[in-house]
Amino acid sequence: MQLEKILTLSKELLKPADILIMISAGLLSIWLYSFFWFDNNQQGKADTLLVQFAENLPQEYPLNQARLIKIQGHIGPSLIEIKQGKARFIHSACRNKFCVFHGWLSVSGDTSACLPNRISITLKGTRNQYDAIAGGQ
Amino acid sequence: MKQQFTTTHQDHRVALLAALAISIHIIESAFPSPLPGIKPGLANVITLFTFIMYGWRTALQVSLLRVVISSLVLGTFLSPTFLLSLSGALLSLSSLILVQFLFRLLPISPPGAIGYAVVAAISHMSGQFFIAWYFFIPHPGLFKLLPIFITFAVILGIVSGIITQLIIKTIKSETT
Repeated sequence: MQLEKILTLSKELLKPADILIMISAGLLSIWLYSFFWFDNNQQGKADTLLVQFAENLPQEYPLNQARLIKIQGHIGPSLIEIKQGKARFIHSACRNKFCVFHGWLSVSGDTSACLPNRISITLKGTRNQYDAIAGGQ
Repeated sequence: MKQQFTTTHQDHRVALLAALAISIHIIESAFPSPLPGIKPGLANVITLFTFIMYGWRTALQVSLLRVVISSLVLGTFLSPTFLLSLSGALLSLSSLILVQFLFRLLPISPPGAIGYAVVAAISHMSGQFFIAWYFFIPHPGLFKLLPIFITFAVILGIVSGIITQLIIKTIKSETT
């Protein structure tokens, strides 16, 4: 009895166009989940590497030309490699080598750091580099 | 010089509906939201009802009056909240008009309140989201929240659509 009532009510409520809109809304949200949560490539390509030692200003290197950067850190030298739009530590004077095991950085915002040596590297894109602003553009 | 000030039936209708929408908006803003950015948006029920029963011109009047007056009452006039509210209201109404126009071209009968409500909720949410992203927090990480917001918009849109449909049904059965 109750079920029949609900069924007739839902027939009155729902037109084919409503169902069409609801299905497309569901598909839209599923697509949004897949696009923003499970796709890493949309994170914006990086084109610059920032290398920072201690409190010094970060130095910028373009990612499109391969090079080896040797930088003197707090306890010894670190060697950073840039190749094919990616960057990594290949050697550092520290003991645990977490920075080296971290491997390649390829996406804008990726960061690797050698804390004992007080050196950090971060990839950056030219756009979307601010994290918050006050006022419009 | 004495001026005659006359009001039409349409003015009364707009005033009544706007007053309803403003009251709902203000009562709703007194309740804390479970998640920041997500509100049931029950004031949109009135906008939807107006849109379906009296057309988009009346709905535009009602929803602009609702946004401006309730922001004056709540003390958020010309603040970021006001900007978000205004952009959401305008975008949701314009997408309602767009959907109505599209279904005139298609060989399907136009949607009922639920379809319109889902469209309004999604466009309201995305309008606010893009304004928030463009002016206040222009960080790509904000987009991780968009799917959650849109999911809630769909669910709450369906709920407010059902409410609107029931209101329309009741009013139609009472007037005939």
